[in-house]
Amino acid sequence: MSYHTSAYLFLFLPLVLLAYQITPKKVRWVTLLAAGYVFSWMVSGKLVIHLIGTSLWSHYIGVWQAWLKLRCHMELEHASKEECANIKKNYKKKERTVLAGGIILLLAILGYLKYYNFFAQNMSQLSATLGRREPLQAKALLLPIGISFYTLQAIGYMVDVYWEKIPPERHPGKIALFLGFFPQIMEGPISMYSQTADTLWKGTSLKGEHLAQGSIRIFWGLFKKMIIADRLYVVVQAIFENYSQYKGAVVAAAAVAYTVQLYMEFSGSMDIVIGSGRMFGIILPENFRQPFFAKNASEFWRRWHITLGVWFKTYVFYPVSMSGIAKRWNRFGRKHLGKHLTKVGISAIALFPVWLCNGLWHGPRWSYIFYGMYYFSILMCGIMLEPVRNKCLEILHINDQMFFWKILQTGKTWIIIFVGELFFRANGLRAGIHMFLSIFRDFDLNKLVDGTLLNLGLDQADFIAIGVGCVVVALYGIVRERNLMGERKLQKLCLPVRWALYYGLILAVVIFGAYGVGYQQVDLIYAGF
Amino acid sequence: MDTLMNILTEIDSSIVWDQENALIDDRMLDSFDIISLVSEMEGAFDIEIEASEMVPDNFNSVEAMRKMIVRLQGS
Repeated sequence: MSYHTSAYLFLFLPLVLLAYQITPKKVRWVTLLAAGYVFSWMVSGKLVIHLIGTSLWSHYIGVWQAWLKLRCHMELEHASKEECANIKKNYKKKERTVLAGGIILLLAILGYLKYYNFFAQNMSQLSATLGRREPLQAKALLLPIGISFYTLQAIGYMVDVYWEKIPPERHPGKIALFLGFFPQIMEGPISMYSQTADTLWKGTSLKGEHLAQGSIRIFWGLFKKMIIADRLYVVVQAIFENYSQYKGAVVAAAAVAYTVQLYMEFSGSMDIVIGSGRMFGIILPENFRQPFFAKNASEFWRRWHITLGVWFKTYVFYPVSMSGIAKRWNRFGRKHLGKHLTKVGISAIALFPVWLCNGLWHGPRWSYIFYGMYYFSILMCGIMLEPVRNKCLEILHINDQMFFWKILQTGKTWIIIFVGELFFRANGLRAGIHMFLSIFRDFDLNKLVDGTLLNLGLDQADFIAIGVGCVVVALYGIVRERNLMGERKLQKLCLPVRWALYYGLILAVVIFGAYGVGYQQVDLIYAGF
Repeated sequence: MDTLMNILTEIDSSIVWDQENALIDDRMLDSFDIISLVSEMEGAFDIEIEASEMVPDNFNSVEAMRKMIVRLQGS
């Protein structure tokens, strides 16, 4: 059961809303938690036990840390000034050990279930190359739905308790609900405990205003998914699965089509997820902010899958940047190498693990690791060439706030994104390289209008629906980017205009949505991660 | 706390440091500037700044940085 299916939208969600409202306020969290476990069980069966286990483990680690903090305070009360520093140091070490244990267990389970077969397969290939017997057999391992998302949330909770950003939670139910809120289980957004735990726990009564806002957000998500993404899926599937038959402009168009499909699909499902949360009065963090307006790769990642980026920045980038090795490099570099080289070095130290983890997080494939390293290389190039870029701008008297320069930068970023997504979607790294190189063979734009694209499973009307859909999404993006109208301003429009927009949106989904005869229901891409 | 102003000027002399209240939110300081800043602060004020301190509230203004330094010196 995915978020865009009728089973979720017309049965599961309304039933949970009803059950939630008739439950006494104090125990509404139980209804939400039960809904989360039923949802997880319907998708992953008995593997829901992993979600429950992760919640209990996170609670246990938090409580253990709380106990250590309390012991530390008690000892400090009776200690002399000289002893205080030692006591604090000892307890910090103990807390760090507990935290490390908590994280290692979660990562070990995730690693085993998600990456064991990848590791075994590569070891087997290596052994075969070396002429040895196969050392590791592949295993039939099942992955609980959303494991990559809720594991990161659980680690975030444990680290925040260690950092004393949040107090350790005494009630296991509150942590369980934070990790198992049903709209978030499958695809995130990856929230921090301080962002959602309290509102989830509150049990706010349903309000007409929240229900309306949530419903519209859900329809907006369906618009992106059903009118654009599910149609583009047909073209993308046809070209990427038979990539050796295509070259030049068609492969380039496939890379663009996949990027648009992924954006419409992932941001569309986030709209459904955030809309579902809104119906209960819960504000989930946003995952996208007009990513195609970005002027460089770094900005793109501050606008695309935002919560994953924030997670890596908070729990990988900063801890690595603040590690002993990074600080030593910084001191050495500033003394001997100058500002720029120091920055290049510290960037390499801090960004490499971030992008390796980002690639691996998406799944056990070399093409995902390549994808992470691709962005690492691009960001490093940007940092290394910064002085050259600034010098060029100065010599050419170009102001980087000029419109034409911004357009140029945005165009460059689009190319970076399209190439990245081509490798991301390709059936393996070898296929990705083949497809990328094939773009430069017989590049002829006529191929896009000579009927080739009409032989891929979509007719002219489908392409018109995609085009019009993209224009609507782009226009709304411009409106949001320029802050002309957000969701709040939309609520303030006069009633007839607002309802005309709502009805237009609903009718568009009903009439132009790619469902029914002739269309295939397309699974959510990020649910597979 | 002139030392702090010297460190900040060293990082970027074009910013009027004590007039800014949203150094992070307005992206005047990026992640790498903060890392350099932290490294310098640790040496100059004999404090240890952990990753948990890397929140905008601690770096948005000179006043916020001063408060953080005083807090960490006292802990």
